Amino acid sequence: MKNDLWVEKYRPATVKEVIGNEEAKTLFIEWLGNKRSTKKAVLLYGPPGVGKTTLVNAAANEYNFKIIEMNASDARSEKAVKRIAAPATSFTGLDKFSSEVKGNMLFLDEVDGIAGNEDRGGVNAIIKIIENTRTPVIMAANDPDLEKLRPLKKICLIIKFQQTRIPLIIMALKKICEQEHIAYEFEALEKIAINSQGDVRSAINDLQGLSEEGKTLTAQDTLALGLRNRSSNMDEALRGYFTAKNAAEAAAALSFLDVDFDDLLMAISDNMPRRYTDIEERARAYDYLSQADVFRGRIGTENWHLTKYFYNNLSQAAAVNSESYKHFEFITAPPIKVHTLFWTKAKRMVLASICAKIGNQCHVSKYEAKMIYVPYLRLLLQQKNKANTTRLIDWLKLTPEEVTTLTGLKMF
Amino acid sequence: MVMLNKNGFKLPRVEKEKFTLLIRLGLEYNSQKMLFKIKYYNNISQLQDVLQDILKTEIAFTQTCTICGTDFGCSTCKYIKICPTKDQPFSCICNQCLRPKRVMQQQLLF
Repeated sequence: MKNDLWVEKYRPATVKEVIGNEEAKTLFIEWLGNKRSTKKAVLLYGPPGVGKTTLVNAAANEYNFKIIEMNASDARSEKAVKRIAAPATSFTGLDKFSSEVKGNMLFLDEVDGIAGNEDRGGVNAIIKIIENTRTPVIMAANDPDLEKLRPLKKICLIIKFQQTRIPLIIMALKKICEQEHIAYEFEALEKIAINSQGDVRSAINDLQGLSEEGKTLTAQDTLALGLRNRSSNMDEALRGYFTAKNAAEAAAALSFLDVDFDDLLMAISDNMPRRYTDIEERARAYDYLSQADVFRGRIGTENWHLTKYFYNNLSQAAAVNSESYKHFEFITAPPIKVHTLFWTKAKRMVLASICAKIGNQCHVSKYEAKMIYVPYLRLLLQQKNKANTTRLIDWLKLTPEEVTTLTGLKMF
Repeated sequence: MVMLNKNGFKLPRVEKEKFTLLIRLGLEYNSQKMLFKIKYYNNISQLQDVLQDILKTEIAFTQTCTICGTDFGCSTCKYIKICPTKDQPFSCICNQCLRPKRVMQQQLLF
């Protein structure tokens, strides 16, 4: 029973069989049938697993088009697009003259994934192909709002796909259960459908994974689905992280989190003094955090293989002493650092202006002025000898506000 | 709340600018029947805002059951609180069709 993937086995063969998004389907079929003169290409966009690729395959099957597909696994540079897609859209294949095939259909899946050096010039090449095409050009994307897709959007008919609704997924699962002769509790299918978050593909995969021949699928069985597809927010993740009994639990809590590394690091750093009241434990935890920060810096935008070390250090920080945990209120976003930067912005701007003036007069950089000159200048201005200070202020052309700020500075 | 049928609904007389905006947002006007109909579905949320502004009340579009073809409102659905796509798109399955046991006997439309 489990030899074939049900996602493939029950993949819709016709447009009618594709579940949900009726309006999008109608619009797409209308375009494919008779409205290609207005827009030569179509961009289907929506979350994963809602039937974009399935609809294209089903339409090609039903209306006898031969699909030429390029997806994320292919390099889609200008050269590659020209080599594969250009002939497919400009030449008429011999098979068009057979009664069975209407012609080619170029399908570019996951166009939002065109990026980096490997795909250089890809978008421009696609635009050129669309301008000269004789065959339908269809693109699919999850996120159409990307800057790089803006030129493509201008020349395409854009069709939005919504997440598939729970009742529709339940009906699809029911149909599969009937065909596979699987007894089920309605609540079990309901739980799978809700857990899938509108993704039919993952719902069918879950159903296949949970069902056994000759056994009724119960709601109890679906408990194993647990946290699948779940992306937790910062609050939830911090709660899981700080209450973790060991590093592995802390890592698991962070693994569902979908936030920026820097935000995560700052949020943990802000809450660490509340978590560890013992000075030594706090110092050890901050040591791990600083190491995590080092790896964060090394990850940059390309060394993603170092992410495991970043998470590993963060997890270790949570597990310095799991027994010392006492409930505390989390500091939520924005992080303290952002708050501090906001409140000290005016002061920092005055200090920058002072440093610029020092730099100008003493021929040093602003950084050097801040680190070496400002501390001495502060001490000089705090002296009671008014004649000297007045000369200094005049020489540097400091304003009264700058003098007040400088004398009031407590630390650097 | 007012329920509007996506396949044809009437609106009070609107200014020229508002009418143009409605057409731009995807409505189609049948001047013989004096009915508005949704033609494009990409700007539904904006369209809803404009219609709410015209009618001065909350609006929702009826859903069509893909099995029995009846029109119903989302308010009757038990999944309304967790539904990822409230009010749109406009096809779903009504409560009566969701529960029966033998699905195959219903000759599903999908």
